Amino acid sequence: MTESMRSKGMRDMLPNDMARFRRIELTFRDVALGWGYEEVRTPTIEHLYLFTSAGTLSPQMLDRVYSFLDWDGWSGERVVLRPDSTIPTVRLFSEQMSDADSARLFYVQNVLRFEQGDAEREGWQCGVELLGDTYPRGDVELILLARETLQRLGLGPRLKLSHPGIVRALLDKAGLSLEDQLALYDRVLAGDLAPLDEVEAKLPGSASVRSLLSMEGQGLAYIQNLTTVLEPIVPEIAAPLGELAAVSAMLDGMGVAHEISPLLVRSFEYYTGPVFHAFVGDIKVGGGGRYDGLVSLVGSRDLPASGFALDIDAIAPLLDAAAEDARVITIHCESPAGDDLAQAFALAIALRQVQTLVRVTAGAGRGEVVVIEGAFHVALNGGKPERHTDIDAVVRAVSRS
Amino acid sequence: MIKLALPTGDLRTPVAELLSSVGLQVEGYGEGSRQYRLNSLSHEDVRVRVFRERDIPIQVALGNYDIGVTSLSWITEMNARFPQQPLIPLADLQLGQTILFAAVAPTSSSVGQGSRPDRGGSGNTLAALPTPVRIVSEYPNIAEAFARAARLPRYRIQAVAGAAEAYPPEDADLVILAAPDEATIQTHGLQPVLRLLDNSAWLVANAASLANKDLTAVLTRIREASTPSTSGALHLPTPIAITKSNGRAERMTDTLRLAVPDGHQQRHVYGALAKAGITFDGYEEKIFVRRPHSGIAGLDVKVIRPQDMPQLVALGEFDVAITGLDLLSEHLFAFPTSPAHAALDLQVSQYNLSAVVDGELPADNLADAVAYWHRDGKRPLIVASEFAATADHYSRSRHFWRYQVMPIAGASEGFVPEDADILIEGTETGRTIAENNLKIIDTIYRSTTCLIARKDAQLQGRRHSVYNELFGLLQRSVA
Repeated sequence: MTESMRSKGMRDMLPNDMARFRRIELTFRDVALGWGYEEVRTPTIEHLYLFTSAGTLSPQMLDRVYSFLDWDGWSGERVVLRPDSTIPTVRLFSEQMSDADSARLFYVQNVLRFEQGDAEREGWQCGVELLGDTYPRGDVELILLARETLQRLGLGPRLKLSHPGIVRALLDKAGLSLEDQLALYDRVLAGDLAPLDEVEAKLPGSASVRSLLSMEGQGLAYIQNLTTVLEPIVPEIAAPLGELAAVSAMLDGMGVAHEISPLLVRSFEYYTGPVFHAFVGDIKVGGGGRYDGLVSLVGSRDLPASGFALDIDAIAPLLDAAAEDARVITIHCESPAGDDLAQAFALAIALRQVQTLVRVTAGAGRGEVVVIEGAFHVALNGGKPERHTDIDAVVRAVSRS
Repeated sequence: MIKLALPTGDLRTPVAELLSSVGLQVEGYGEGSRQYRLNSLSHEDVRVRVFRERDIPIQVALGNYDIGVTSLSWITEMNARFPQQPLIPLADLQLGQTILFAAVAPTSSSVGQGSRPDRGGSGNTLAALPTPVRIVSEYPNIAEAFARAARLPRYRIQAVAGAAEAYPPEDADLVILAAPDEATIQTHGLQPVLRLLDNSAWLVANAASLANKDLTAVLTRIREASTPSTSGALHLPTPIAITKSNGRAERMTDTLRLAVPDGHQQRHVYGALAKAGITFDGYEEKIFVRRPHSGIAGLDVKVIRPQDMPQLVALGEFDVAITGLDLLSEHLFAFPTSPAHAALDLQVSQYNLSAVVDGELPADNLADAVAYWHRDGKRPLIVASEFAATADHYSRSRHFWRYQVMPIAGASEGFVPEDADILIEGTETGRTIAENNLKIIDTIYRSTTCLIARKDAQLQGRRHSVYNELFGLLQRSVA
């Protein structure tokens, strides 16, 4: 087989892929606009330093960014192909919307991260950032927004809630230095739970920490059980569990089913409060959470914020293909050299004016409308052909069918 | 056949002695030899090629060579940026031992008296560095890994060809460099803050060659000479939590800063300065100190590698520098909007930058050569050069279909035809080219030695008058 000219990890999107992509995008836009959010788009290239501070991306994520020296980068300061959309959106808000106390922003854009082998390195996200709003209203609103988008796409999402403060409280209580806490937290973000064993060894009476937190439980009841067991050992854990309980209680009240998964935080250091992940079956299709420290880290204001992103590439294969079919009228011209082609285009213009989808073909082939010597031979829905010489008559026939 | 890549430079003699001691003699590989392609006397199936140390990990990773011997620091430098490369470090040969340190100028307020470089801490030192942190190193990928591990909120890496120790405190805040010990670092006026790597010559192999080829004829013998060693792991700093931006001390604004080169350009530049009636105490035809005395009020002089000057002039770290047009062009091909420009041609050390190919190639011009290479399909052309950005620009503007630029550090005549199709190389008389059975197929431009400056510089007061005096003396000397 000939080697592809396509760059490794990159994907061509074929017409079917684009149809699904647009369906997700339009549904998401409709929902986001409906909840009062405004659309933005951030640049493809950003400064690398936006993403390197502690409290932004985890080192494992940073190892996968595409960074380089730009054509004017003789200073040695690198730029990066956008690996994440939240941090650029916070930068946009801090720089371009400095007069606003709050903002509801959404975007549909790509992120680029290196992946091994042939795995996709470009991903598309539908994202929302709620800046300047406070807990727990913002967290609950975002969960409802994500849920509505997925439901309108015909998908029944399963929601899992977590809180990075749980792990942070344990690391802090274990008497680790700030530097060691950050290093161990990054390991947990990368999916390595061994640091919890180190914490267990340092905290008397905490032998059950790892097994307790590795469980997934149902809503408020599980949070209350965790609080009862862990608070005597680590009193500081009460605060994050309390925040999680507030969101959980509100969702329970609205009948929104969800699970609690304490160690579900991954890859992003910037989360500070309740986080959620959305699954369809076993496939993770999106997630987000509260990042109250990021606005002050990137800009100068201290504002609470939260956000989420839905993964278009994960959602697209789950959509029902039948929903993408749309009726297209093919106008076929057997003899494109004469006036018939002009007639075919005249009919196409008339049909477009009534929002009908058209396709003009010529030469060998067939269509619902065939133009022969100036006349239209119309055969719709497998019916017997009818001959028309008047364009309006054809438009009426198509509209009726 | 086993293809073995061996180092030139300082490691050449000890590696030759080691090979000889285990019965793996390589004809012509030893002290004083300048041959690049050699055969093993004891093993007829072993072919040897001599490279600069930093080129060996690239050549072995590409699979052009099965086994190599090079410093662990260069293997680590490659792995820091490209961890997926099929490059397997096999054994420490305990030769050419140095230590890779991170060091700062001791004037930094954070460095306590008698502080020792450690394996992971150093957080206070790093947290006190000015923002953005200017890191200088011959190892830019390790420097990048260092900055990311420390979670520096803002930094820039100055990749230099050498003399990294000369940069702090004026031109860098932190330096990553190799030295035999701490005391050597301190003789440069620097304070080590972190010991990053215990460096020595290692045996390294290509993963596919290890998996598919019988390499025992070489591996067994070289392994005999190796001893159990440290892990070879790179020790990076733990994250620091910076809560504020630290300012940088203001630079003296009434002093003109001039950079002059060491290396092969030194005698030419010394000669050009002498012809203009300019001499510096500590910068002569063959000897130098890093900070010579200019003897001119308001003129500071520093000796650094000529490769690094265009970037430093563009940044404003130096007002003027004397370097090659080839190196300025290389910088401008990489950064077309850079303000560095040639202010005056000193008309010394002139040569052509040429495209060089195999002498047996049945083509006399570039178009015929490309047609020949593409006669069986458009395979990627390999363009090797010490001037990677120039080679990239050349290949792009000549519309090669698919090409790969292979950046090399030296020993360049040995790359064509086995490892590359084209070499972008400096040529003077053409004798070396002919001796290596190569030929010039295209002349790209003629290089010369220049006084370079920022074209948008707005020098004031004494700085301006010193520049005019320096420029005038040099201009009159070449008129």
